[in-house]
Amino acid sequence: MNGHAFLLWWDRIIAMTLKELKQLIRDPVLLLIISYFFTADVYMAGSGINLNLRNASVMVIDRDHSAASRELMYRFRKPYFDLKGEISGKNEAEDLLNRGRILAVLDIPENFQSLLLQGKPTAVQFQVDTSNTVLGTLATGYATEITAGFAQDFVAKRLGLNAEQMDALPVIQNRHRVLYNPNQIDGWFMSISELLTVITMLSMMLPAAAAVREKERGTIEQLAVSPLSPLQILLPKVISMGLVILLGVAVCLFLIIIPVFHLPFKGSIGLFFAVTALYVFTTSGIGLFIATISHSLGQVTMLVILLLMPILLLSGAWTPPEAMPPGIRWAMYISPLYYFNEIGYAILMKGAGVDILWDSLLGLTGLGAVFFNFGVWRFRRQFG
Amino acid sequence: MNLSRVWAVTYKEWREILRDRLFFTMAFVLPVGIFLVLGYGISFDVEKIPFAVLDQDRTAMSRDFLHRFIDSRYFEYKGNVQSERELDPLLAHSDIRFAVIIPPRFQEQLMAGRATSVQSLIDGVFPYRAEVAKGYVSAIIANFNAQSLMGYLVRKQGISTEQARVQVSPLRLESRYLYNQALRSQWSISSGLMMLVLMVTPPFLTALGVVREKENGSIYNIYASTISGSEFILGKFLPYLLISCLNIFILWWVVMNVFGTPFKGHPVFYYAASIIYVICTAGVGLLVSLLVRTQVAAVMLTMVISFVPAMLYSGLLVPIESMGTATKIESHLFPTLYYLRITWGSFLKGLGWDELWFDVAALMLYAVILWVVGFLNFHKRPSA
Amino acid sequence: MGEAALVNEATVINIAGFCKSYKNKAAVDAVDLIVKRGEIYGLIGPDGAGKSSLMKAIAGVLSFEQGTVEVFDVNVDSEAAAEKIKGRLGFMPQGLGLNLYGDLSVEENIDFFAQLRQVTREQLAERKEKLLAMTRLDKFRDRPMKNLSGGMKQKLGLICTLIHEPELVILDEPTTGVDPVSRRDFWAILAELLREHGITALVSTAYMDEAARFHRLSLMYNGQILAAGEPDAICRQAKGCLVQLTVEPQIDALDLLKVRYPQIEAIGSRLRVFVDNTSSMDAVKVVSDLLPGLAIKSIRAFDTELEDAFIALLRQGLLANQAIQANTIPRFDNPLSNAEGIAIQAKELTRDFDKFRSVDHINFVVRQGEIFGLLGANGAGKTTAIKMLTGILPPSSGEGQVAGADMRNAGQMIKERIGYMSQAFSLYLDLTVMENIRLYASIYGVNRKIVRQRIAWVVQIAGLKEVTDQLAGSLPMGIRQRLALGCALVHQPGVLFLDEPTSGVDPVGRRHFWDILVHLARVEQVAILVTTHYMSEAEHCDHLALMYAGRVIADDSPGNMIQALQNEAGQLLEITTDNPLAALAQLEQGGFKGVALFGKHIHLLAKDIESVEKQIRVLLDKQSIRLIALEAHAPTLEDVFVYRVLALEEKEPI
Repeated sequence: MNGHAFLLWWDRIIAMTLKELKQLIRDPVLLLIISYFFTADVYMAGSGINLNLRNASVMVIDRDHSAASRELMYRFRKPYFDLKGEISGKNEAEDLLNRGRILAVLDIPENFQSLLLQGKPTAVQFQVDTSNTVLGTLATGYATEITAGFAQDFVAKRLGLNAEQMDALPVIQNRHRVLYNPNQIDGWFMSISELLTVITMLSMMLPAAAAVREKERGTIEQLAVSPLSPLQILLPKVISMGLVILLGVAVCLFLIIIPVFHLPFKGSIGLFFAVTALYVFTTSGIGLFIATISHSLGQVTMLVILLLMPILLLSGAWTPPEAMPPGIRWAMYISPLYYFNEIGYAILMKGAGVDILWDSLLGLTGLGAVFFNFGVWRFRRQFG
Repeated sequence: MNLSRVWAVTYKEWREILRDRLFFTMAFVLPVGIFLVLGYGISFDVEKIPFAVLDQDRTAMSRDFLHRFIDSRYFEYKGNVQSERELDPLLAHSDIRFAVIIPPRFQEQLMAGRATSVQSLIDGVFPYRAEVAKGYVSAIIANFNAQSLMGYLVRKQGISTEQARVQVSPLRLESRYLYNQALRSQWSISSGLMMLVLMVTPPFLTALGVVREKENGSIYNIYASTISGSEFILGKFLPYLLISCLNIFILWWVVMNVFGTPFKGHPVFYYAASIIYVICTAGVGLLVSLLVRTQVAAVMLTMVISFVPAMLYSGLLVPIESMGTATKIESHLFPTLYYLRITWGSFLKGLGWDELWFDVAALMLYAVILWVVGFLNFHKRPSA
Repeated sequence: MGEAALVNEATVINIAGFCKSYKNKAAVDAVDLIVKRGEIYGLIGPDGAGKSSLMKAIAGVLSFEQGTVEVFDVNVDSEAAAEKIKGRLGFMPQGLGLNLYGDLSVEENIDFFAQLRQVTREQLAERKEKLLAMTRLDKFRDRPMKNLSGGMKQKLGLICTLIHEPELVILDEPTTGVDPVSRRDFWAILAELLREHGITALVSTAYMDEAARFHRLSLMYNGQILAAGEPDAICRQAKGCLVQLTVEPQIDALDLLKVRYPQIEAIGSRLRVFVDNTSSMDAVKVVSDLLPGLAIKSIRAFDTELEDAFIALLRQGLLANQAIQANTIPRFDNPLSNAEGIAIQAKELTRDFDKFRSVDHINFVVRQGEIFGLLGANGAGKTTAIKMLTGILPPSSGEGQVAGADMRNAGQMIKERIGYMSQAFSLYLDLTVMENIRLYASIYGVNRKIVRQRIAWVVQIAGLKEVTDQLAGSLPMGIRQRLALGCALVHQPGVLFLDEPTSGVDPVGRRHFWDILVHLARVEQVAILVTTHYMSEAEHCDHLALMYAGRVIADDSPGNMIQALQNEAGQLLEITTDNPLAALAQLEQGGFKGVALFGKHIHLLAKDIESVEKQIRVLLDKQSIRLIALEAHAPTLEDVFVYRVLALEEKEPI
């Protein structure tokens, strides 16, 4: 390609890219949808979903009415539990549990205090509604911790040991360090997960919509008889929509995720945007394929939704690869979102760089080359 | 109400649905697709957490301690490292999500009757998983400590093992998991997804069905003829009701056979309640179709106003108890909350009309309001 | 008059002071209209004139702000009132088959409308068979609607609208986008059905040449009624007459006359001038006097036709001054290097789609500076032929040359040398005029140094100066099409392909458009290949090729084609009687073929006029129908088209 031809090639790409951007600016509905996804949608996902146990309603059947039983039951307090009071018997408990009025019932047996004082083993019963397993698991966990703490204090008191003496026992002290998200804020994970999903959806949807709109309105014919090559028609759509998506990502990160959820941005911003650009390019190949097989924007939307589902399933965001059945774990390697998830979390929350992520980057690039070429090939066959 | 006109619309609509392959596929594949994606995708069972070990002691006791992790089904051993620095890239690349560091002189300290400490590093990207992992670690350490203490007491005080056990842990918490004894998160998620999917697909189909006629102009056949608004809407809705009724069966089958969730309630009661819920959610689609003109707008708007409340306000992912007062009130304004109670009540708790009549009544009220508003706002003589 | 027998005086539609606006923009402004029982009433006007809004309001499917609409003496002022009339009327909205259901078969569509309208099973069976037979759709009853041709869709739409035998039918542009043969067929069926059942019809159209189909009509423009009445009366309202002349050199005469008479157009070798405020006696002299020293070969005055009347009325009412300015058209800045010789050549071009042969060994030649018209019914293969020549579609066999390059292996070179305008408007409605032009300048790689100058040239040649910053979507059809032409010209191509460039454009816009084409061909020697459904436009072409079932069945100049028809089938007879409907039936029974009703007149082709006239008199006397007038005219191109295509359809139905 000589100099003049090269300049002409770029002139055409730039002119078509500007055209796409202008068209987008004049489509207020689409702009509204895009901004909704990058702001409100991510915000709602980040702030709305929270898998912590807070104020779970508990009631107690206290058959002992002793100081010890009262002390134990008052340890079931906020923030995890909300002690709603006492009830008389099993039937009432079952009824309340059935109706979902309370999450759990603590059943303290008779002679609770005297058995403890005599140094005899005893047990309290904790009936918990596990129809929602997340709540059930957490509630049981916290109840176990509370009971153990109570027992330890009781033993210490009975043996007359103070805190210092307790340390002089041969025990392992457990030092947890939760990395990357020490306060365990759900919003960080949820908002980033949603952002990555939004990027996936829009990078399939927007170039596909731009391409199919040319079909719907018949403008594709005018382009087909012009000297533009299929690549010159398609690439500008990907470039322009990619730019829009990157802008959306910037807005989302700097106006929502970082200020609202106080995410500490650990890694390199430049690297994250570069990877996002690569990812948009990859998934837009799928979008262009969709555009070649559909005739209207409605069909594009449906097909995007249809394809988005397996991509989400195989992304590993909600279920990490290790928890997947082995067959599905292999299928994850063809989902671009799987790589993007790995890289996205690693850069944003873990501060990882290219040195660590090179293999995922390689996977993403490979998939991108395959998908994009496939999309262009289909398009060329249809209009070339 | 002239039934033959209703039938005319219904019959025509049904034939069109059968001929439109993409739409027909969507009608049946979309619900099951969303179902499988989310059912498999959202798993709260935390198992096989990949982990690595830094053993700076290398004694019999440290190996005994580590085997408690290696042998647990909750953890998956990925190997040993030589220094703490080696752990960082492993964690950053998600090769492991958890690491144990055993300090030097671990055995020596414990044998000498002194406390020692073990550090655990947990990947906190997904806080719920970190929280559960933390619980597993605490439990393993507590168990180890109890044995260590018992041994210490036996040696120190010369008492029997049995006596030592009572001294160390005088109180046990007996947890009884109601409704979901095995704590299988897929039981609650899969049945809960009935609520989500039936919230999304019926309005989706109904809105598309009506808007399609608006978009291509065939709605004028209706406007210009003597058919009344209610006859048209009813006729239009019946095929989609039929599809949704089939979908209820399909999903129900999937919940029981693919996810293995038991059904303990009354099938007839649950099926009737589900139909009321579908009528209710299809009413949402009807309202959407009155507001918008194009299929794309219909898809987007339906997604936004049905998905979001189903995800956030139903109690599926965010426990109602954990919500603030305002959100709690909001969540009672959406039908999803009531239907989720009916679903979990029927599948897991084995409840029926006696316990759930209030929720059914709430759904009925909802359906009536939506449809009346829909009928009143359908005009055969619009202004544009 | 014949009117009396045809029209019962009862009023069906009575509209006064009707106003309708969308978002504060008036679409219809203070319109009055009365339609009487049994009438076929026409609303004629370009896109956006307000026809659709008016018709929807009458059908009770659109609310409005001001005025009264009475249908069957019911004041349609509320949704409840509208319901009262809906049982008695049928409404067919605009758009080819848009109100039908694409995935359903012909029969299923009819059944649905019948059920919707509570037609009993027996009635349905009887009417369906009759209507299907009459529209010749009975062979296609199981075919999905979406696979029908445009003309068939419209006929199916008509069946669906009439299945409950309404007293009033409202048809919104039923013939737009339909070829002349199907159009004539459609009108014949409509006329027969209406006559049989005494149905009143309100029909809109953008084709001025369909005016003769109506008993009475209103000319609409910009939300107002420009003129109303019987077609002849409207023509008389425009003060002036029409002069047609052949003169050498044509382009000089055009320039001279344009200054004085803006309403002028070149039709092939002839010029057609509307001479304002002058009777036909004086007009010839007035025009001749303006052309001293030029060789006038023939000159003759005619009565005004509706299209000319429409433009004259607009102009005289100063409503469309923007469009009729005599603008000077700038020259190419690079005269074509290959200004002589062959621009397009098709040799045995063929294209198959699966088993179906869309284009079948076609041959033709277009020289530089020639306007070449490709005519044919929908699906005759015109668009496929153009697609092959422009390099979008590879041919199955055969070869072709375009702009000096072989289309089989120099596709890219051809694309750079030609301009193309596709069937539907194919520019970006959400970009401004200027942005569209710039975009195409970049796409065609117009040299950066001259791009500014070139864009100015395009703006001027297409007459877009006042609208450069407006969104293309906000422009009327006529200006949009000029913009599309401008974009196709931005690289000053030597060959232009135009696929139905003026569909839906008003007559004023069409004239302006053709002015530019004539200039490009005559002055710049650009070769232009154009397809159209407007037979009045086909007359502008230097050369025509008529396609049928993928083949070229006639290839000649318009004049020669008309001459050939005259030699073969004779003159066009226009018969005026006091009872046209009875007369039509009588003539058909009497064995005349191709008899068609045009408003109150009957048309037929006859060779031996004297004997035919005798035959007609005898036939009409039998039914005591009075023959008022019988005139012979030269047939038009539409007659040529219909005659040729019908002859072939009889031999080898598609």
